[in-house]
Amino acid sequence: MKSLSFVSNRQPLIRWAAFFLLLTIAAGCDRDGVKVYQVTEEKSSDAPVATLPADAAVAPAQNANSLPQLQFALPSGWQQVAPSQMRVASFSITNADGETADIAVIPLPAEGQDELALVNMWRDQMQLPALTNAAAAETVSVAGSPAKYFEIISEQPLIDGKFRARILIAELTRGNMSWFFKMTGGNDLVVAQKDNFLQFLKSVSFNDAPIPDASAGTQNTLMPNENTPVTGGNSGGPADSIWTIPAGWQTLPPSQFLLAQFSLAGDSGAKAEVNVAELAGEGGGLAMNVNRWRGQLGLEPATEIVSSPLDDSGGKSQVVDFSGTNMKTGKPTRLIGVIVPQNGQTWFYKLMGDDAVVAAQKDAFIKFIQSAQYPK
Amino acid sequence: MRLNPIKFFTSLRLTVVLLAFAIVLVFIGTLAQVDEGLYNAQARYFRQWLIFGLNVFGHKIPLILPGGYLIGTMLLLNLLAAHIYRFQLTTKKIGIQLAHSGVILLLVGQLVTDMLASESQIRFNEGQSKSYAESSQNYELAFTTDNGANSQTVITISQQLLARGGEIQNANLPFTIRVKSFWKNSEPSFRAPMMQNAPPLTTNGVAESFDFSPAAEVKTMDDKNVPTVEIEIVDANGSLGDWIVSGWTTDAGMIEGLERGYAKMAGAAMAQKITAALTQPQSISVGGKVFTLELRPERTYLPFSLTLLKATHTVYTGTDIPKDFRSQVHIDNAQTGEKRDVTIYMNAPLRYAGLTFYQYQMTAGEMAQQAGVAPESVLQVVRNPGWLTPYIGCALVALGLIVQFMFHLVGFIKKGSSK
Repeated sequence: MKSLSFVSNRQPLIRWAAFFLLLTIAAGCDRDGVKVYQVTEEKSSDAPVATLPADAAVAPAQNANSLPQLQFALPSGWQQVAPSQMRVASFSITNADGETADIAVIPLPAEGQDELALVNMWRDQMQLPALTNAAAAETVSVAGSPAKYFEIISEQPLIDGKFRARILIAELTRGNMSWFFKMTGGNDLVVAQKDNFLQFLKSVSFNDAPIPDASAGTQNTLMPNENTPVTGGNSGGPADSIWTIPAGWQTLPPSQFLLAQFSLAGDSGAKAEVNVAELAGEGGGLAMNVNRWRGQLGLEPATEIVSSPLDDSGGKSQVVDFSGTNMKTGKPTRLIGVIVPQNGQTWFYKLMGDDAVVAAQKDAFIKFIQSAQYPK
Repeated sequence: MRLNPIKFFTSLRLTVVLLAFAIVLVFIGTLAQVDEGLYNAQARYFRQWLIFGLNVFGHKIPLILPGGYLIGTMLLLNLLAAHIYRFQLTTKKIGIQLAHSGVILLLVGQLVTDMLASESQIRFNEGQSKSYAESSQNYELAFTTDNGANSQTVITISQQLLARGGEIQNANLPFTIRVKSFWKNSEPSFRAPMMQNAPPLTTNGVAESFDFSPAAEVKTMDDKNVPTVEIEIVDANGSLGDWIVSGWTTDAGMIEGLERGYAKMAGAAMAQKITAALTQPQSISVGGKVFTLELRPERTYLPFSLTLLKATHTVYTGTDIPKDFRSQVHIDNAQTGEKRDVTIYMNAPLRYAGLTFYQYQMTAGEMAQQAGVAPESVLQVVRNPGWLTPYIGCALVALGLIVQFMFHLVGFIKKGSSK
């Protein structure tokens, strides 16, 4: 009797099974993937916040076409370097003790600028508490016009934990633009260079002839300079003389953020590349940069960075070595990165490419790094 | 002794063991919420077949326990098997059958809820209309392109698919998306022109003025993971560049918080500019078509629109204690032509088109006036196709027990009177 009842009831059991299967499939299909919708255009009120004001301080590029050319006399000991991001000119100074200072020229739209906020941003950089009322600014002469002048000194030893830092800033309002001239560095060096900085400000002049295309490699046209930038390459500039370049390395023209770039060829078309970048301060720190490199090889960001010292020079220079897939080419790739803190700057060396080429060139790469004569 | 599967699945002992496990699971899962947060605890203990290792008051216990799915499925099988084998369609047993079918409906209903239910939110200011709800947990990468005549095509890629990495293609997109890095939680930092010297993550769009860095995943109900993804867009001619898409650029709630933080540091005007730079739309042009790209809270489009007419927040006189939150909304359904006003308030949700809209959060009344913000209301939107099953299930169990009791009572009385 029992078996009979089982047979007669098998049908519902199968139905239940089918129901669950369908349910699982239906639920599974909807969970992830790509969806396509046709919608009517959203009203502007749907936007979460207001759109960018036309005078936004963060987008100087839109004004770049109308920027005048900058001319100046370069004080002795100042080295012009490739400007990055919002800068139109960048210089560095290194003294005999290895202290460095950085000088930047940044134009920003003048309208809507909050002077107190800017001063507090610089104070924050110097780890000083924010002010509630701005003290009256001093005045200096820039390009024959009066400009506001600020000087901020840190209370803590911010540079290598040993030296206090100092910032000098001159803000010149010219038409609808504010031009910021800013020197940052160790207190002693900045104090020693203050006269040079003021002389430099006086020597600045603006040539208002507009530049035809400011977006394509404008930095050099903006800067009619007599000095060769530290950008390496085949130009015979200082980059060639900073390192001893190993045999077989082909020098490439460096891109915007790189000091030097080399191409390394292996057997049967296999390739690797060496990049050198130099950044102020810690350049974002070890973890951020290693994780950026890991991202280039499709690796998850590491919570703990495994690195080894480059040599026995006190363990300041760190080496990382990992393999993954190059996200640009899709090929298996090995990356050896070396991070060298030097004179308040950080130098990033990256050897990346085919595993065999990287393995064969590793020793040459390390020797190349050790050969560096950093600017003093 | 061989295990008899029929005996095993129909055994009442199995039921008792499973119920005991269920009690243990509910106890441990509830404690785990303290350390792991509600959503993680749900996923780790209840939406799971087997649990490896427990976490009680921060102590790890190396134990393997059956998870919620396994206990629920086994209970269902146990009940069904018992039904099939002990099935006797007699009027005497009809009460038992009814009660059991109620329990089965409860179990199946829970499964349906777990698999098909979704929760999202509608956040709007007074006067604003929305025809979509947004997820509070998940994000999606959306490419939007204009078709002209007020119409847009939106192609969305889920957060889960992005997290897997690799390449993503779709017939509606004339390019391939390569996921270069995916951070489930991230922090933005403004690249202040005078401070930040390191190169940006990418040289396009928002990355020019903001840096993003990975952050530890948060688990509590009060915190939220805001993902950031670095993608490369590649068409037939090669790479079109790397882009950063981040939940920080689209999530209105998080942007408000960020703007308040910047306002303290740099003043309101500067803070507004900074957040404006963050939310500036990013777009690419491929094959003559312009696509805007954003990582936004996952949207569920609705076949109708809701307009917030009025948000009212009242307090008990002389105190800050909330008395009532209510949102007066206007439903406009173009498909059915339905247009009407509804008031949603606590314990009086709107049930419409298979969805339930609950009053969830509100910034209105005096507080909003003092803060100088427009009155805003957030509705919780719940889609649960199985929402009726617990009601029907419980009613069936109650009915079954009453019927069974009545049979016994009637039989007992008859017996007594015949004596």
